[in-house]
Amino acid sequence: MTTPFSPPLYMQRYQFVIDYVKTYRPKKVIDFGCAECCLLKKLKFHRNGIQLLVGVDINSVVLLKRMHTLAPLVSDYLQPSDGPLTIELYQGSVTEREPCTRGFDLVTCVELIEHLELVEVERFTEVVFGYMAPGAVIVSTPNAEFNPLLPGLRGFRNYDHKFEWTRAEFQTWANRVCQEHGYSVYFTGVGEAVGHWRDVGFCTQIAVFQRINQPMSNAERLEPSVYKLVYRVVYPSLCDNNIYQRTLVSEVLYEAQHLRQEWLRRMNMDCNNNAHFFAPPLMEVFHHGVQADARDWQPVYQQGSTICVPLARVWSSPRVRALCGSVQRLREELVVDARVRMSADGTVLNLPVYDDVEEEPEEEKDEEEDVKTVSGIGNNMEEDWDRELESCGNA
Amino acid sequence: MTGRARARSRGRGRGQEPAAPGAVKAAKPVMAPSSEGQLVGRGRQKPAPGAMSEEAMLQISAGFQQVKIGERGGRRRDFHDSGVHTRQLMEHVKESKTGVSGTAIELRANFMRLLSRPLWALYQYHVDFKPPMESRRLRSALLFQHEETLGKAHTFDGAILFLPNKLHNAETVLCSETRNGEKVEITVTLTNELPPSSPVCLQFYNIMFRRILRILNMQQIGRHYYNPDDPFNIPQHRLTIWPGFVTTILQYESSIMLCTDVSHKVLRSETVLDFMYNLRQQCGDQRFPEACTKELVGLIILTKYNNKTYRIDDIAWDHTPNNTFKKGDTEISFKNYFKTQYGLDITDGNQVLLVSHVKRLGPSGRPPPGPAMLVPEFCYLTGLTDKMRADFNIMKDLASHTRLSPEQRESRINRLISNINRNADVQNELTTWGLSFENRLLSLNGRVLPSERIIQGGRAYEYNPWTADWTKEMRGLPLISCMSLDNWLMFYTRRNAEVAQSLLQTLNKVSGPLGIRMQRAVMIEYEDRQESLLRALQQNVARETQMVVVILPTNRKDKYDCVKKYLCVDCPTPSQCVVSRTISKPQALMTVATKIALQMNCKMGGELWSVEIPLRQLMIVGIDCYHDTAAGKRSIGALVASLNQGMSRWFSKCVLQNRGQEIIDALKGSLQAALKAYLKYNNSLPSRIIVYRDGVGDGMLQSVVDYEVPQIMQSIKTMGQDYETDLNILDDIGVGKLSRNFYSGSELNPSIETADFYSLLNLLSLRYDFFIVSQAVRFGCVAPTHYNVVFDNSGLKPDHMQRLTYKLCHMYYNWQGIVRVPAPCQYAHKLAFLVGQSIHKEPNMNLDDFLYYL
Repeated sequence: MTTPFSPPLYMQRYQFVIDYVKTYRPKKVIDFGCAECCLLKKLKFHRNGIQLLVGVDINSVVLLKRMHTLAPLVSDYLQPSDGPLTIELYQGSVTEREPCTRGFDLVTCVELIEHLELVEVERFTEVVFGYMAPGAVIVSTPNAEFNPLLPGLRGFRNYDHKFEWTRAEFQTWANRVCQEHGYSVYFTGVGEAVGHWRDVGFCTQIAVFQRINQPMSNAERLEPSVYKLVYRVVYPSLCDNNIYQRTLVSEVLYEAQHLRQEWLRRMNMDCNNNAHFFAPPLMEVFHHGVQADARDWQPVYQQGSTICVPLARVWSSPRVRALCGSVQRLREELVVDARVRMSADGTVLNLPVYDDVEEEPEEEKDEEEDVKTVSGIGNNMEEDWDRELESCGNA
Repeated sequence: MTGRARARSRGRGRGQEPAAPGAVKAAKPVMAPSSEGQLVGRGRQKPAPGAMSEEAMLQISAGFQQVKIGERGGRRRDFHDSGVHTRQLMEHVKESKTGVSGTAIELRANFMRLLSRPLWALYQYHVDFKPPMESRRLRSALLFQHEETLGKAHTFDGAILFLPNKLHNAETVLCSETRNGEKVEITVTLTNELPPSSPVCLQFYNIMFRRILRILNMQQIGRHYYNPDDPFNIPQHRLTIWPGFVTTILQYESSIMLCTDVSHKVLRSETVLDFMYNLRQQCGDQRFPEACTKELVGLIILTKYNNKTYRIDDIAWDHTPNNTFKKGDTEISFKNYFKTQYGLDITDGNQVLLVSHVKRLGPSGRPPPGPAMLVPEFCYLTGLTDKMRADFNIMKDLASHTRLSPEQRESRINRLISNINRNADVQNELTTWGLSFENRLLSLNGRVLPSERIIQGGRAYEYNPWTADWTKEMRGLPLISCMSLDNWLMFYTRRNAEVAQSLLQTLNKVSGPLGIRMQRAVMIEYEDRQESLLRALQQNVARETQMVVVILPTNRKDKYDCVKKYLCVDCPTPSQCVVSRTISKPQALMTVATKIALQMNCKMGGELWSVEIPLRQLMIVGIDCYHDTAAGKRSIGALVASLNQGMSRWFSKCVLQNRGQEIIDALKGSLQAALKAYLKYNNSLPSRIIVYRDGVGDGMLQSVVDYEVPQIMQSIKTMGQDYETDLNILDDIGVGKLSRNFYSGSELNPSIETADFYSLLNLLSLRYDFFIVSQAVRFGCVAPTHYNVVFDNSGLKPDHMQRLTYKLCHMYYNWQGIVRVPAPCQYAHKLAFLVGQSIHKEPNMNLDDFLYYL
């Protein structure tokens, strides 16, 4: 069965969810019937502030097979994101109540309900809207009225479909849900027919439910008691204190080293391109020239064998600024870190003037070191392998 | 010679060669029924529906034996030399191939045994779908609807199914239903029971082990796995180093072993775009394109949106992210693509794109999809640039983290083992397959060979075996033979006039005790430009010039190349280049000058020291090759042959390989020339020849046995009808891809690596081979050199073969100590390297009798 949609319909369904996430920015999202985790994988890229991403499927084999596609990429470690993200996969049924699924902002059920028997749909409704009571629910399902337009289709679109609803049937169900559980709903869809067929509606019909009452408060995360945890991964993020500290210090040192290098280069240029000697620091000149300038533009200067890089200069780097809200915060973070050397008042970073020069490997060792004699063949015994070989051959 | 053999012996184009039939087939699926013979290739994976006949399917399964599981999707394959059984042909080593000399020592190597339950076997099934299903994913989904029958553990590639347990019947018929309600009949037929050591099983183990590493949250980069949770940063250059492991599972002797080594990956938390910004700032708009190309091309980058690595081959200066490409049927701009696909915003719409020529095959063996265009903003740099490598501080920081002592290395590997054994998911995976790993490193018995005595100037002395170096011991002793320096030149720049003078004085001082008579050199100043250096050489170097010393102001390669090119090809004269920095430290000058004096002496044909060689009329040959990048990928072969009993004089020849030619074909002539030279020196031909062939990669052994050995024999034959000689050919596989590290049993001594000789418990039973650790290492672990005797009609005892090899490791004149490989290999390597790096031409034959390339 080929559908004449471009991009393909399933992509449009995912895009619909992505667009929703972009607009409403839910923090905790659960995808029922996640199967090959395609939607989760997309949402991981189009995160828009999602902090907890959960996938549930009844088939654990498919989860096990695909779960590693949800693992962080190398780049997620290289540049940790600002917000935290945890991805969890569970094996479980949408008709069962699982305490740890309560309190979510968004539940997506993309092409799920039509795989349930109608009795199960009832239970599903009760579990999702009554028990879990998330802030919003997106339910998509085939629109049976569209089926005549699908070439070569007899019966349902998939052998596993237990039913396919018309728009009226879908809306009846949805409206009842709203009444019973306190949600509002609007209907839309993806995959429009062309020309005079337009009035059959979308190929996939979608209902977006919004909870009318205040969404449930962010309850503490519980351990799963009904579902089975298949996979769990915590993405590296700046919310992790260790990662934050490491990233910040790296960024600060990078910036400071660059300022230092730049300063050294300028010094070198001042003394006639002679690469081997550094001129005595022209501190006064710098001080005078600069103080008149902007107040926060402080010069790098040399003091003995250290080069002093003012914290304010490092702070002016956009990357450092992005990591740290204020200079005070920056100072506090750096003071406690062993990798950074700071002046007592915490306004200046100290770096060495000279790189360690290549040390010649110790050539001369103690003359006394005695030469060990090694066991084995006597020193004076002369060997003759040729003769040995011959005698071997004769014997 | 066929193209296939060529690819094999060169070690290039791995995995591409067998792809050809598959690629053809994918393009013309209609041909399939008539081309059954070709089906061994990759084309079998996704045949066009209906095109696959019943017979063809059978063929496919049979062919799988030779094909590796991992080959799917155009990935590189690991070659194994498991089929190379040379030992059975050698009478004298049938009984035993171990040596006897030396004292026993207990060693640990970075190997772990893979254990399987008794009577373990891998069951290979052929799976047939009726009607045939095209999609592999669908095939797999349909099959695993029957998990209760097949069991939890299974591996299925679309046609072949592997199970750890035997199914009840040899043929099982299953029925599945597709999503569309189509009924499919699946026939699962047992085709093979594979013992634990079969090559297919080895592939299977390797795939499984990769899965295990992934379960342990290791990240795959390139071919290896790294641990992202404990990085080490070098902020100054935004470097991040991840520790990880290189692993492979192979069969050694009777057991299957996991060989693993610690590896580190250098990553950079800097995108190519950041790098470009910095570079533009540093060098200005004018020079930017040139500098950018120079710095970036050749680097490996890692993309932000998936874990793929690419090599930057070019920069598309006329492309920006606003350019479009064809995705499916529609044109989409890079900008929009990344936005919609990955939610990534491009901040700089004017950045130029990077080009990478992807060699990876497209899906189902289709030819590569053309060059990949990459957005610099989404590409992270990996690895070190040359600039960083030259930075002592970076390298020091790096070394402090990556150079591990034997204990550290061992503990890292032990930690991996314990992680494997502790992790429940890993254990689960292993037990469903009925496998486990032994939880300790492999212990071996080695032997410490007696140290050799160095003979020099009529005296013999011993050296400290723990340092394997006799710089100190040889002080004050005259050399075996010295060439007096009567007519020689020294070139220097004005800035280095002073150091040149002091070098000259010091050379004079040190040459006396060595026994070298030295006249004052003619001092010639040159301007610090390549052309003027060349002109100075042309004007001053004459026929009778014995030696040219050039003091170079920097270690820039172009001037060095210019000197070597002129003096090796156009005007054959031994030459010695010295970078001024090396001789600028007065306190080190004596040591440096001694080394220079020794080197100059060798280059003119002098001899330094010797060891006792208890075999007469022996010629040792060393062969190595170098794959030249500049000369349009022409490979270079070098052959070095000994001319005297003391192994102190050598004949050297270097050839450039022509297109489509085997390196050995080119070297045949060199071998004959070497034999003629031997005849000239000794008035007889050698009665015994031992060839050390270096530069043989894993997997190339078979081609050496099949092709190179007969070629060598044949070229020896041409020396005369009745000429017969004993011949040994050894391949030293410079334990390249994966090192076998040894840890000494004694915990007391951290630097265990010494002038020792470890012959290991016949690691590979079917070959005549041995391992030697000859070199001393101050720090870290040591990888032994693996020697394979591929041909031997001399009957030389294994013990003697090993000792002779060890003796030859003492004879490299550029180092007053023991080296990793026998001197002839090291010489051949040095020669090939010089020609490949600097000269790109065959050196003048007047130099053949000298070690001019030292």
